[in-house]
Amino acid sequence: MIEVKKISKTYGKGDNAFRVLDNINFTVPDGASVAILGKSGSGKSTLMHVMSGLDKPDSGEIIIDGKNILQLNQKDIDKFRSTKMSFIFQSFFVQAKENCYDNVSLPLEIADVAPSRRKSKIETALKAVDLLDKIKSRAKDLSGGQKQRLAVARAIVNSPQVLFADEPTGNLDSVTGGKVEDLLFDYNKKNNVTLIVVTHDAELADRCDMQIHIKDGKIDSIREMKK
Amino acid sequence: MKLRDVTIRAGRSLKQAKARTLLTSLAIGVGAFTITLSLAAGVGGRAYTDEIVNANTNVKELSVTKSPPKSQQGPQKYTGNASGVSGGLFSGELLDQADIDKILKLDGVVSVSPNYNPQVKYVTRSDQDKYVATISTFSPSVTLKFAAGSVNGDLASNEIILTEEYVKALGFSSSQDAIGKTVNIVADKLSSPVTAPENNTFVYTVKGVSSKSGLAFRAQSSLLISNSSAKTLYDYINLGTRSYGNYIVASVETTSASQAQKVKDTLTGMGYLAQTAADVLGVINTFINVLQGVLLGFGALAVLTSVFGIINTQYISVLERTQQIGLMKALGMRRRDVGRLFKLEAAWIGLLGGSIGTGLAVILGTIANPIISKALDIGNISLIVFTPMNIAVVIVGLVIVSVSSGILPARKAAKLNPIEALRTE
Ligand SMILES: Nc1ncnc2c1ncn2[C@@H]1O[C@H](COP(=O)(O)OP(=O)(O)O)[C@@H](O)[C@H]1O
Ligand SMILES: [Mg+2]
Repeated sequence: MIEVKKISKTYGKGDNAFRVLDNINFTVPDGASVAILGKSGSGKSTLMHVMSGLDKPDSGEIIIDGKNILQLNQKDIDKFRSTKMSFIFQSFFVQAKENCYDNVSLPLEIADVAPSRRKSKIETALKAVDLLDKIKSRAKDLSGGQKQRLAVARAIVNSPQVLFADEPTGNLDSVTGGKVEDLLFDYNKKNNVTLIVVTHDAELADRCDMQIHIKDGKIDSIREMKK
Repeated sequence: MKLRDVTIRAGRSLKQAKARTLLTSLAIGVGAFTITLSLAAGVGGRAYTDEIVNANTNVKELSVTKSPPKSQQGPQKYTGNASGVSGGLFSGELLDQADIDKILKLDGVVSVSPNYNPQVKYVTRSDQDKYVATISTFSPSVTLKFAAGSVNGDLASNEIILTEEYVKALGFSSSQDAIGKTVNIVADKLSSPVTAPENNTFVYTVKGVSSKSGLAFRAQSSLLISNSSAKTLYDYINLGTRSYGNYIVASVETTSASQAQKVKDTLTGMGYLAQTAADVLGVINTFINVLQGVLLGFGALAVLTSVFGIINTQYISVLERTQQIGLMKALGMRRRDVGRLFKLEAAWIGLLGGSIGTGLAVILGTIANPIISKALDIGNISLIVFTPMNIAVVIVGLVIVSVSSGILPARKAAKLNPIEALRTE
């Protein structure tokens, strides 16, 4: 369970002060899929960064498994991210000159997974995104959709508890984007992994258990989707 | 993240920027090359002088002169026994029999023999031209290379060692041909009146012919006779002159090398100037060390330049890989490990540059060694000697220098804010 409590964040000071997040409160049950919706610049990415401990808010608490992650020291928050969370970004951020194997291996190395246990994990992850045949290909030789699938493989390889995706289909056409969406929701359902997707794609949002609409840094509405 | 994984990733990043890595490494390579060669030349040079000095001097021996007069401005006080022997060549005081007796009485002194350098007129043999010659004293402790003949122990009083050049000049068909034949040395009696000059012919049997050797620097052009023959010649030439019974240098033989050092101290206290084999070696080695120092300086300068090269390259690398760094930090990579990644990249650059530089130095040195030895005519002695220790020190040293150069860019990478790095326009 992730509890977001009274999160506020301001950029700048005095007359220039700009409130990106204004008293945000919500709770995400374990294994839920959550869409964070809103216009560009409304504060969606910032909220996601705060929830994952990448960014620090001015006030508020992020409680995951009963622990306020904002009070952890840098070492522990790094460990938390490397073992329990993972990320998918709009621009993929795969390492173009590395092959698929090495790309997927990175989170395992960061999390100090023993070398002998890496190979099978990497192959399982690449198989899940249907890229096993590209294991030795360099990432720059992949298409956009394949790159994002590679990013998904990298995100799931270390079996995270929470998967953050910031506009994962924003740079993809609807067919390839749909395939990435399927992967994410499949993984979410099969493994009971919490999925938090930032998006402005209404169709994608409709597949989620919960929708959080943000407007000018405030929560506009929270909708639980009945299925 | 484990050091092993960081190291592999660092190596992989460098492989992905081959040209840049190689160029940066080459800058260090130049320094490694220069430093390795200068170290090798120092080792080789010192070993060579060591051999020369050991071959040409006896560690138990000292050469003794009187201390030169303190240099002073203007006319010097007349002391009564200043020399006038060799004109302007030598103007110090000379050693006489009293000095020699005094030295002989010292503890640990076995013998004192003045060095006779008889100034003869010429050397010749029947039906041949006359040639000017320098006569020196043969010393059993000095290594000679013989083209023909040989000497066991000391020379007998009527024996001589020629050089290969004189063999040809005096009309022998070969060095071997000269052995056992006689040559004549003619000397003037200096005290004879100008109007009735007196001279004498001394006959010697050729016992050996010395050839040029990389180790023999004393006997390369002198004809050698025994100490007693030299004394006979010297006495004939100088009897009745003021030089008679006065000597510039005397060789003092002691019981051991350490005794030689003690005797030297005593002699210095007594107002003599004494030099041991170690002193001679020290003087030459100082020269080599200075030369080596200059070369090392150039190497250090090259390394300093490459330090800026590494800093620059690594800064550019950090800027280029902002997103990669951001991603790694977002995935939970610790600041320490991000810093390590860039420091290890610098280490790889240093290792590569150091290996290229020392490798080239070893190849070039190995090729150049016989050429240098031939040009200097020193036989098969190597002047450039690589020791594994020196090569290891150079490479390890450069890796350390490279890592230090990588510290600032690595810190920049470690401090990078992942959110800034991952922001997309
Ligand atoms: N470092 C910063 N300094 C000032 N303003 C910032 C900074 N980072 C983000 N912002 C502003 O905060 C707002 C929210 O940004 P973001 O969370 O990226 O929006 P979204 O992801 O919803 O498009 C934007 O108006 C953006 O310009
Ligand atoms: Mg955004």
